[in-house]
Parts: sequence; structure tokens; C-alpha cells
Amino acid sequence: MNNPVTSIKLVLLGEAAVGKSSIVLRFVSNDFAENKEPTIGAAFLTQRVNIDDHTVKFEIWDTAGQERFASLAPMYYRNAQAALVVYDVTKPQSFIKARHWVKELHEQASKDIVIALIGNKVDILDDDPNERKVAKEEAEKLAQEENLLFFETSAKTALNINEVFLKIGENIPLKNANDGNGDGINVTDNQRVNLAASADATANASACSC
Amino acid sequence: MSFFSTLRQKATFIDKISESFGNTITRDEKFKLEYKLPPGENIQDDTNADVSFVSIYDSNNKKKQSIITAKQSNQEKVAYVFSGRLYMTPHFLVFKDSFDQKSCELILNISTIKKVERSPSAAYAFALMITLYSGSQVIIQFVGLRYRSEQFCEQLKKNLRENMPKAKELSSFLSTCYSEFIINKNMLRMTNLHPPKAGLGQSFKYPGAVDAAKEKRKLRLWFDYFKMNGQNLAIMKSPLFHKLVRIGLPNRMRGEIWDLCSGAMYLRHANEGVYEKILKDNEGKISQAIEEIEKDLKRSLPEYSAYQTEEGIQRLRNVLTAYSWKNPDVGYCQAMNIVCAALLIYLSEEQAFWCLCNICDIYVPGYYSKTMYGTLLDQKVFESFVEEKLPVLWDYIVKHDIQLSIVSLPWFLSLFYTSIPLEYAIRIMDLFFMNGAKALFQVALAVLKINADDILQADDDGMFIAIIKNYFRTLDQSVHPDAPDIKYRQITKFQELLVTAFKEFSVITDSSILQERNRYKKDIFQNIEIFVKKTQLRHLPKVFHLTDDNLSNIYDIYYQSIETHKISMGTGSSNMTFEVFVQFMTKLCEWAKPINEETNPAFNKQRSSFLRILFNNWDIAKLNELSLNDIVSGLDKLLTHDLLESINYFFSLYDNDDDGELQREEVLQLSEGLLLLTEPWKSGRLIDALTKRQLEDDIAERIAQDKLQQIEEEQKIELPKNYEVDEEKYKNEQSERYLLAASNFLQRSFEYATTLALADEVNLIDLSDEEETAESKQAKEKKFASLKANAALDPTHPKILDLANFRMIILADETYELFFARTLRSSIYVDKNFGANNDRGKALRGMFDGIIADGRRVAQQVRRRVDSVATKSTTNSIESPDNLTPDNSTLVGSKYDDIDDFTNEGADDEDEFVDEESNALLKNPWVDEELEDQESTSETLNGPKKRPVSMIVPHQENDLIEFET
Repeated sequence: MNNPVTSIKLVLLGEAAVGKSSIVLRFVSNDFAENKEPTIGAAFLTQRVNIDDHTVKFEIWDTAGQERFASLAPMYYRNAQAALVVYDVTKPQSFIKARHWVKELHEQASKDIVIALIGNKVDILDDDPNERKVAKEEAEKLAQEENLLFFETSAKTALNINEVFLKIGENIPLKNANDGNGDGINVTDNQRVNLAASADATANASACSC
Repeated sequence: MSFFSTLRQKATFIDKISESFGNTITRDEKFKLEYKLPPGENIQDDTNADVSFVSIYDSNNKKKQSIITAKQSNQEKVAYVFSGRLYMTPHFLVFKDSFDQKSCELILNISTIKKVERSPSAAYAFALMITLYSGSQVIIQFVGLRYRSEQFCEQLKKNLRENMPKAKELSSFLSTCYSEFIINKNMLRMTNLHPPKAGLGQSFKYPGAVDAAKEKRKLRLWFDYFKMNGQNLAIMKSPLFHKLVRIGLPNRMRGEIWDLCSGAMYLRHANEGVYEKILKDNEGKISQAIEEIEKDLKRSLPEYSAYQTEEGIQRLRNVLTAYSWKNPDVGYCQAMNIVCAALLIYLSEEQAFWCLCNICDIYVPGYYSKTMYGTLLDQKVFESFVEEKLPVLWDYIVKHDIQLSIVSLPWFLSLFYTSIPLEYAIRIMDLFFMNGAKALFQVALAVLKINADDILQADDDGMFIAIIKNYFRTLDQSVHPDAPDIKYRQITKFQELLVTAFKEFSVITDSSILQERNRYKKDIFQNIEIFVKKTQLRHLPKVFHLTDDNLSNIYDIYYQSIETHKISMGTGSSNMTFEVFVQFMTKLCEWAKPINEETNPAFNKQRSSFLRILFNNWDIAKLNELSLNDIVSGLDKLLTHDLLESINYFFSLYDNDDDGELQREEVLQLSEGLLLLTEPWKSGRLIDALTKRQLEDDIAERIAQDKLQQIEEEQKIELPKNYEVDEEKYKNEQSERYLLAASNFLQRSFEYATTLALADEVNLIDLSDEEETAESKQAKEKKFASLKANAALDPTHPKILDLANFRMIILADETYELFFARTLRSSIYVDKNFGANNDRGKALRGMFDGIIADGRRVAQQVRRRVDSVATKSTTNSIESPDNLTPDNSTLVGSKYDDIDDFTNEGADDEDEFVDEESNALLKNPWVDEELEDQESTSETLNGPKKRPVSMIVPHQENDLIEFET
């Protein structure tokens, strides 16, 4: 582990039960659970990936999806360098919600946040293509308009899950990830504005148990 | 007694002071909270008394009389006597000792009372002997004035009488209590008893390793306790009760003790059958909450076997949906599913339901609300406790930017269920129900304290979370695994946690929590309101004419109008009924303000019918309610900056079948609507651009005459101060102009409509206008009325007005054209911050005062006149003006511009217009022009008046030509 390590703070947003936690579970543990307890508040997990000669450490903030938890979200996406906005390809409402999240992120989050739009649960379409309720074209259009990365994934079959994270890793300037993450952010949590602390994260990152 | 009551007064006074920082709660509320009594159980009377509970099963009482207290030496039965305070509510007698507030707490539902007798005691003392259904007795010896004691008894008697029907149903309720079952079974040796409904644990096993022998021992302890101190609805809680809870409840008894401690039992007793009824009444109904619940049913304690079966899922579904119907303000919040799933392991459905009610309403209020304000607030409170009690740790957390709430928020929100292994979370729940929300704070602080050394090594959130996770995973392990003494080795981390929580953090009390909550409440609510507003504004439909400021103002007025909706708490409907809509529009629009009936009797009817039309038009989903989105879309249309769009929209409001044509009735309605909208100008409350210009011109004219020679230098035209304006004159002129416009409108509408339908249609009344110049205002009003009646009373010829004609008629009238182009918009105050709006009334009163506050135009006019006069003749004599005094007093910063400010939007146009047309206009007041037109109405329709139109908005001429073709 002599590679330089870069931390990327990544937040998952999206309607309840679209599979945010499952995407994380698949990415972090390559596992899947059919009935996962809903995330209460938020969960935090980490995962390391090698991209070229770099090691990227993803610090993943997985948030609760229910509408009323939205007021907690700013606490978690502050300083985030990347966001996965997840919807369920079989639930049109979840796509509307995804639009809202994209809008909110553009307004409130760091200016250069990399956002990926994720249509999850495509495995359901394998059994019955009629289940699709959000057209791929529609999502692609949104991604283009709003300058988002776009993937259709399945946490269940692991389709495209790693690709999402790798793509995000490629899209974030690695060298700047650490010293630049204090700039251009909207600190929504008025409690703490301590931005210096993250600077030494790289040095001690290997101590983390992940 | 007086001594005690002064003491009590003092106590409540001090309470009041301590609570005055936040929302105060009344003594009644505090009382109900303390004893977890249902709503409505207000204190009717309270008194000092000595109370003892004499159990029928107390073998000592049967024979011996050895344990005797001084006061009761002559009594047959003996027991400990406690001095304290006795409270009476409609359905309860509550007693608490005044020794240490812990020794004796008696909560007695009066349904359990079988008999009340005056106790044979010394003549000076007044005592009651209450016999319960079980045979046990409560002896109350009143301390205080006799007549007060008598009063107390009278009230008790009254309550007992009123409660008779309820008391008769006691036994069916008792059959749901396990305590009753074991007493009946073991003491009364009753046979064919059915054990009451139990939680899922009874058939699906209770969580954790169950030691049957230990369970039995614990159950036995409870059995003994009930025998001596009563049970369920009539129980005396002694320190032993608390101790028994602390050592951990036996699984079979846990349900009932939760039921009892949480107050759910009282609620359930007071609302028998309500749970089933809620389920039945809402069967098959769908709501957002229901959909959300369905998503989570299989995701609630999924590892517990019962929740892999339909039975368990169904119970969970029933309780959660029933709660969402009972309290739609909360509906369903994730985490409730997990809490509820845990409850159902020990409680029957009905018990769990009422328990959930009390958790949400009493224990952790606001945690699961739509804004989760309680959760946010308690996180803040928790942080402040950490800062105060664990300062070193707090400093470290702050310094390293560790987000404490990432770990602590789920503890509180899911009452530890998602963080700690189920069997331990259940134990914390025992204490939570007995001690209240402070148990959560105490345990949470203890977790941090125990792990402080490790946390102080953590650099970031990830490590912090890992430490805590690891700790919770190992709660069953020994604290001192290497200790030589087995006793030490046996102490588990969980035991250590409880001891730390309740010993070291006993300083965290209900009142300190309340105090902290009050301290941060305002901030939290404010933050939530800002957040909600931001989010809502972000999600509004696309608008074309409203600015972000406008939207922000509309939002504020909208929620000020919906008084039942609390933004920060997320309670109440956020939609508008028609009544609220009327209030809302009244605040926003000048023409929607109510006026004195006498000045205009038709006004109120016009107002409500126009607002109804708007309301229906804006209510796109036809729910008979408007949302903020509806309001914003509607106002956006109403406030269009495009003249034609504005006219079209007004037309479409009345075009019910949307065919582009108005029937006669619709035309009449439309004219009424126009009358309403123009009322502020007709009545002279507002003045429009034409009047303003006229006024400015007149003033300029006078100044020019007066000061011709004094004005030498550029920019140095002095505006008259305290200029006396004949307000009435201008008001009247404007009023007449609007009336004339209205009658012209109606006349033209029907004439033009008629010519389409029937070429030879003639006017039914003489509309000649020879005497127009002399016609008074009243006459005009009369004329309008007759016109209206005329048209309305002519059912023989169907008349149709189409959009093109309507537009033409409007554009043919300068007043109305200006009205749709600008005037109407100026009467809808979307620009103003509502707070500042309160001054408006005052500003209006002096509307003419500020007419020339922005004297730019007047000054220009003066200069123009001076220039032109100067070139013509320089011989005019100049008189010093009497009525022009340089007095500032009446000309202070006028609000007038707020109402009719177009110096910004159209300054250039106007200047241009003035340059071209000033002389013509000034010399021929436009009212005269109107009169000319009046004489040749048929011409007007065939060839619309170009002159006034082109004067105001020259670029509109093309549109007019289009109509002609």
C-alpha cells in the first residue's frame, strides 16, 4: 500500500426503498439482502478502490430516503465531492424525487460535486420488461441537461455497481480531492465550520478498519 | 391548609418562572405527563392526606395488629401510612408521598372502586375507606379543613356516579391484563381462565437467551408485588416496583408493565374498542402513509422470526396503519416500524397501538412528525449535554469535525433498536417506559463516556462509528475479563452501561431536558422553517411573471393565512379552503379587501363570486382546496405583464365551457367582476396612472405659472411643499371615469354581441349622451344599472361575446386598457414583504400627500411649460403663491409609490409620450374625449379609438388593426 490514497466523500440520496443501502452493501461487501431494514438517519461505510496507480478511499454516507428525513440530508451532503442520486426504474415517483435531489444538490452542495444518476433494480426488467416505468431516454436526457453521470444498475445482480464508483473516481481530480474540499461549499450546518480537520485524513486513513 | 396552598402557589410560581423561557406547560399538563394519564384527566381537586394501601392478601392484617403506626392505632387493619398529596381527576385518584416522592405512588382508576365508606375514626379526623373490586382497601385520612375534605368527597361521589357505566365493564378490561390472570389463577384458584392476548414473543420465542428458571423467579417477584400493592388499574408503586423493573422484566410480564408504565393502559381503558374501530373504518383506504408502511413491513426487525410470517407482518401492518389514521399529522415515519415491531413482541396489537400513541405524543414528541422537529431538537439537546458533561470529548469531536449525530440520531429515533442487539435494546426500553425520555439521554451519554478513551483516538467519522459499532457488538462481554474475582468477571459491558447511565448521569432529569429543549426550540423551528421554505420554493411550478422575491412573499402570506398549519411541526393541512383563500386574497389584493356595505352594497357579493371563480379556476385537481402550487400558478397568470394575455385570462375565467364565447349570463358576470376589480379606483382608494398624470400636469401647470421666472437653472426646480390638492376633485373624476368605462363596456359588449346575432337590434333605452357633460356621478351609476338591467332583461335574443370582441372593447377604453396592462397588477401586492404591508392602510389615507414625492416628472413638466411659455411671452406677471409654502411636513417618504409606481418600469415611455402629446392632452382633458366617444358609440366599435390607445401604449396599435379586420 504505497499508493497515494485519496479520500472521496460520497453521499447517496433518493426516495425510500430504491436500493441505496443495497448499492452500498454490494459495493462494500459484495453482498445483497432482500429485506434490509430502512436506514435511520444515515449510515457510514468506507471502501477502497485502486484506480490506475492511485488508491481511492470512498467515504460513503448512505441517507434515509423517506421524505421527512430530507431535512437531515444537508448535514450529510455538506462537503461531499460526489453524490449518487438513486431512483427505482419501476417507480416513476422515485424519478421525480431524483430530479428534486439533483436540483437541491446543484443549489446547496459543493459547486464541483460530481453527481451520478442511478436507475436501480433493472434486474426486475429481466423477468418482465413491462415493469419499466422510467424510460432510459428520459433519464439520459435529465443526465445530459444537468451534467450528470448516468447508469442503470442492479444491486441484486451487481450490474454496473462497481462501474459507478470507478467512473466517479475517474471524474474527481485526485490530487485536489484533499486540499480542495474546503472550497466553494455551502456550509449548511451552522454548528461546525471546521474545515481544516480533513487535511490529515490521508495520512491516517490506513488506520481505519475497513 | 393555607400554609400548604401558599407553598404550592410558590412552587407553581417558580415553575412558571423557569418555564417562561419557552413554551409554558400548565400544572394540569405537567401532572398528566408525570402520571401518563390520558387527555382530559385534569386535576379537579387536590388535598393533603395520609394514605395507606391494605391488601386483602396481606396475611399480617388478618390476625396480627402488631405493626402499628401511631396514627392508626385504633384501626382494625394496618399498613404503612404515607403522608402526601392526593389528586382527583375525573377518572383517577392519584397520590404521591411527600417524603421522598418515591416511597408511594398510588394510581387508582375509579372504575376499580367498589365501595367508599367513612372510616370509623377519631371525631376530629376525617377518613375514607375505599374498597376495591379485589377486596383490598385504600384508607385516606384527610389533612386539612373539614369542609374542604367534604368538598373533595362530594366531587369523588359525583365522579363515581358518572363513571358507573364504565365501572361495569371493568372485568372485561381486566381480562386483558396478565397480572389479573396470575392473581386469579394462583390466589383465587379460578378455573377455566383464558390467558390474555400476548405479544408475538409468546409463540415465536422472546429474543435473547431465555433462562426459564430465572424468568420464573422474576415472575414470582412480580406476583408477590401485585398481591401486596395491587395491580394494573389500581396499583401502588413503591421503590420495589422500580427495582423490579431495573433488574429486567420477565418476558411474560414485560408487556403489561410497559403497558402500565407508558400510560397506554389508561388510554386503552378510556378508549375501549377504538382501535378496532379505527381499523374497520379505514379498511381498504389508501394514503401516502399506507404506501410507505407497506414498503417497510418486511424491513422491520427482519431477523426476528415472527416478521418472516404473515401473522407478524399483519399485526405490524394493523398497528402502524391504525396509528397513521389516528394521527394523520404524523402518519408514518421510518423507525416507527422498528419500534412498533419491538413492541409487538411483548404486547398485543391493541396494547402496542396505544403504547405507540404515547411514545409519539408523550415520550418523544415530534420525533416522527413530518419535519422531525423533535428529533432535531433532541440532537441539539444531546449535544449540549455532551458539551456540558463530557467537555473534553466534546472539544475533541468539534476539533476533528466528527458528526456526532451520525451515531446518536438513530439511537434516539429508533430508541436504540437499530444500534444495539435486540435483547439489550429491550432492557433499555424497560427503563425508558418507567423513567421517560431521560433514559435515552442517560444511556447515550454513558455510551460516549465509556468509550471516551477510544473516541479520543479517532480522527474521523469512520473511526468514530467503528468504535461505537464494535462496542455495541460486544455488550455481552465481560468488562473485566481478567479479573481474579468471578463476581467482577461476570459484570457485562451492558450492566456497566446501565450503571453508568443511571448513576453517573442521574443529573439528567426531565426538567433539565425540558429546559434545554426550550432553549433550542426557537432556533430549531426557525431552521426548519427556512429549510421547508427553501425546499417548497424550489419545487414550485415554473412561473413566468413572478420573481423569486414575489414567490417568497406569496409563500409567507400563504402560510400566515393557513393558521391551522404549523410549518415547523409539519402538522395540519397545508392546503387552502375557500374561506382561507378569501383571507389570503384579502391580504394580497387591494380589491379583495372588504369595504363598508353602505358605500357599495353589491360589493360583497361581487367579491365572493369573483373569488369563487378564481378559486375554482385555480383548483386544477378539483379537490375544492388550493395548494401553494395552485396559488402560485394562478397568481402568475393573473399577474402577466402582457396586456393581451391579461385580457385573455380574464375572459377565460368566465368562459366556463372554454369555447371562446361568453353567453349573456357570463357577460353579466364578467362585468360584475370588472366592477369588483376596479372598485379601489372607483372609490378613490387608489389612483391610477391617468389620474396621477393629470394631477402632476395640473401641479406642473400651476408651478409654471407661479414661478415662471424663478426657475433659471437646470435641476433646480423646487417642488412645492404642502401643495394643496383638491383630493375630492381628482377622486371624483377618476371615479366617474371608471363608472363610465364600466357602462361603456357593458353597452358595447351587448351592442356588439347583438350586431352579430341580430343586425336590426335596437337599444331598448335611450342611450343618447347629449347631456353627458352635465351628468352627475349618480346619474352615471343609474345609467349603468339600467344598462345592465336592460341587457339582463332581454331574454329574447341570445347574445354572445367572443374573445376578439372582448379584447377590442377593452382596448377601446383607455381606462380599461390601462387596467389590464398595469393597473390591476399594481393592486396585487406580491412585491411587498407582508410585514411591511401593515403600514399600507395608513399610507393610503394620505395617498395624495406623496403624489409628487418623486418630483422628476413634475419638474420636467414644469420645465417644459416654462420653456414654452418663455418662448411665447415673457411678460406674464408673477404672483407669489399663497398656497405654496416650503413646508416639508406632509411630504415625507411616501408609500404612494409602492402602490402605483411605474417610474421605473415605464419612465421612458412616459417621457416620450409627454413630449409628443403633452400639449394636446393637457389642453383637451381626456374625459372630454371620452364624452365625444360616447356620442358616437357605433363608430367606436367599428373604428376603435386610436388616439388614447396610441398615447399610452403606442406599440399596441397593430393589435387593434388586427381586430378591425
